Amino acid sequence: MPANTTSPSYFDNFQLNLCAINGLNLRFRFKAANLIIFCLAFWSTSYSQQNKKIELQFNPTFKRQSLALDSIYYHLNQTDSVQFTVLKFYISNISLFADSQLVFREENSFHLIDASLKGSLMLPLSVPQSAFFNTIKFNLGIDSTTNVSGALENDLDPTKGMYWTWQSGYINFKLEGNSNQCKTRKNEFKFHLGGYLAPFEALRKITLPVQHNDSISIDFPLDLFLSKLDLSVENEVMIPGYKAMLIATKAAAEFKSDTP
Amino acid sequence: MKKKTSIIAFILLVITFGFRVNHTPEFPTPKGWPLPQYDFRKNPLDSKKIELGRMLFYDPILSRDSSISCTSCHSQYSAFTHVDHALSHGIDGKIGTRNSPALMNLAWGKSFMWDGAINHLDMQALAPISNTLEMDDNIKNVVFKLQRSAIYSTLFYTAFGVKKIQGAHVLKSLSQFMLTLVSSNSKYDKMKQGAIKFTEAEHRGYLLFQNHCSSCHKEPLFSNYQFENNGLHLDDSLLDIGRMRVTQHAVDSLKFKVPTLRNIEFTSPYMHDGRFQTLNQVLNHYIKGIMPSSTLSGILKNGINLSPNEKADVVAFLLTLSDKEFVFNPQFSYPKSSFQKNLKQAD
Ligand code: HEC
Ligand code: HEC
Repeated sequence: MPANTTSPSYFDNFQLNLCAINGLNLRFRFKAANLIIFCLAFWSTSYSQQNKKIELQFNPTFKRQSLALDSIYYHLNQTDSVQFTVLKFYISNISLFADSQLVFREENSFHLIDASLKGSLMLPLSVPQSAFFNTIKFNLGIDSTTNVSGALENDLDPTKGMYWTWQSGYINFKLEGNSNQCKTRKNEFKFHLGGYLAPFEALRKITLPVQHNDSISIDFPLDLFLSKLDLSVENEVMIPGYKAMLIATKAAAEFKSDTP
Repeated sequence: MKKKTSIIAFILLVITFGFRVNHTPEFPTPKGWPLPQYDFRKNPLDSKKIELGRMLFYDPILSRDSSISCTSCHSQYSAFTHVDHALSHGIDGKIGTRNSPALMNLAWGKSFMWDGAINHLDMQALAPISNTLEMDDNIKNVVFKLQRSAIYSTLFYTAFGVKKIQGAHVLKSLSQFMLTLVSSNSKYDKMKQGAIKFTEAEHRGYLLFQNHCSSCHKEPLFSNYQFENNGLHLDDSLLDIGRMRVTQHAVDSLKFKVPTLRNIEFTSPYMHDGRFQTLNQVLNHYIKGIMPSSTLSGILKNGINLSPNEKADVVAFLLTLSDKEFVFNPQFSYPKSSFQKNLKQAD
C-alpha cells in the first residue's frame, strides 16, 4: 500500500465522486463507493511507482553469529550452555522519521518475526522516493485495541501460536529453549511475554537511529539479552504481570540498529 | 469514448459484485433492548457463515479424538448449558473446574467466562478447543483437519471466498452461529409488549425482584455484566478466586460475572460451580446463606429478607423468563440436513 502522504488531488477526487452519487439510492451508493475505492486502488498502484522498496531486516544473533535454533548449543560461560527452540515476536506500527518529523507510517503494520522462518525476518517497506529519514520507530508487541478486536487473520491469526487461549490476549514475545542453568523439567526455560490490560501492559516502543539507506538492519543479540537475566531463577513466565513487563523491557532494550 | 468507459465501469461493477449474492440477515435487536456490544461491521452476518458455524458447533471434529463437540457441554434443550452436571465433563470423561454457562444473547456480552477472561466472543472457542480437560486440541490442528475435509474446505470457500482456511474464519463462523442465539420470547417479554398479563403471584414476584435482584440481574438481559461477589462460600476443593485470576487484584477476589437469569428454569445446576440444584436453594442462599467477606456486594451485606410466600412469588416470576421458542427453535438444533446434504455432494 502507498504511503499516506495525502496529495490534495486524492482528497478532492474522493469528495467530488461522493457528491456525484449523492442523489442515488443507498444501496447503489454503497456499490458506487466501492467502485471508487476499486478505481482508487488502481490509481494508487500506479502512484506507488513513485515509491521505493526498502528492506527492513531483523537479525537474531548470538555472539555476533546469526542465531540457529535447535541442535546448536551456545556457551554462556565456561561451564554453562544454552539451546534455543523458539524465538517469535511481533513487530508492529513501523514508522520512519526525519528527526522528529514523520515521513512514513506503514498501514496495517503487524508482522510476526519467527526465527525458524527465514522469510519472516525481512520486511519490505514501500516508502516515498523522496522521503529522507534517520530514525525508525516500532512496537515490540500488539497494541491494546488490536488485542480486543476479535479474530484477525494472517500474522495475527491464532493458528500462529501467539495468542493465549485460556485468557484473551496476544503473546508479544516468545522465547523457549533449555540450559543447564535451569533446574526445571528438561532444563527448559519459557518466556511468553504479553499483557494489554492495565497495569500489566507488556507492549514496548522502540526508537532507533538508522542510516538513510535502501536497507535497515536491526540486530537482536540474544547473548546480551540473556546476560541481563538469571536463568537459574527466572526461567518461566507464561502470564501477564510484573515479571513479563520487566523482561519485555529488557528484551526491547537489546534491539540494536546498524548505526551507532 | 464516454460510452466505452461506462461499459467498462459496468463490467467492473458486475465483476466486483455480481458473484457475491448478499445473504445478510438482519441482526434482530428486540424492541427496548440496548444496542449489541458485538461489532457486526467486523463480521457481518451471512447465512452461509451462520450455517457453517452451526455445523462446527455440533461437530466433534473440533476435539482431539472427535469425541466432544461444543454441544456436549452446551445443549439446546437446556438453553445451551450442560444439564445435570455441576462441573462440565470433557474429553476422556475428565471433569472441568466450572459449570458451563447457558449460551444466549451473547451479542450483548462484554466479556465471557465466569471471570471475564475472554475479551471477545470470537476468541471464546479457543479456550475449550485447547483446554486439556475439554477438547484437548489446538486451533492449528483443527484448521488442518478442516482443510483436509473436502466438505469443510468447500464450505469455507463458499462462505469466506478463501481456499486456505485460517483460524479466524473458524472463530468468526462459530461467533456468527452463537450470535443468532437470541432469546427474547419469554412470558416476561410478552408481558412487557402488552400481549399478555402476569398472574398475581408473578406480578408480586416481579416487584420483589426489581427491589432485591435487578441491580445486578438488570433487565432486559437480566445481567449488568459486572463482576460481583454474591456471598457464596469458597469451595475448598476448587479454590476459585474468580475475577481476581484475570486482574490479579485483591479487590476482585471471589467476584464472578453476573449471569443472565433468562431460561433459568432449564439451566440447573446453578452458580459457577453448579452447587445449587433448585431455585429454592438459590433463594435460600440469598436469604440466609450469605458469607461475609471484604469483597461482598454491599447490597447483600444483610442478606435478602423474603418470607416463604414471597420466595414462592419470586420463583413464579423467574419461571416467566423461560423461552420455549428458543429452546425448541429448529434453526439452533443439530443441522442434520446440512450434514447430509454436504455428505451427498461429497460422494
Ligand atoms: C467440556 C465442556 C465444554 C465444551 C466442550 C465447550 N464448553 Fe463452552 N464453556 C464450558 C464452561 C465450563 C464454560 C465456563 C468456563 C469458565 O467460566 O471458566 C464455558 C463457557 C463458554 C462461553 C462463555 C459464555 C458466557 O456467557 O460467558 C461460550 C460462548 C462458550 N463456552 C462456547 C463454547 C463453544 C463455541 C464451544 C465449542 C468450540 C464450547 N463452548 C465447548 C464448557 C464447555
Ligand atoms: C450483588 C449482585 C447480585 C444480586 C443483588 C443478586 N444476584 Fe443473583 N447472582 C449474582 C452473581 C455474581 C451470580 C453468580 C455467582 C457465582 O456463580 O459465583 C448470581 C447467580 C444467580 C443465579 C444462578 C444463575 C446461574 O445461571 O447459575 C440465580 C438463579 C440468581 N443469581 C438469582 C438471584 C435472585 C432471585 C436475586 C434476588 C433475590 C439475586 N440473584 C440477587 C449477583 C447478584
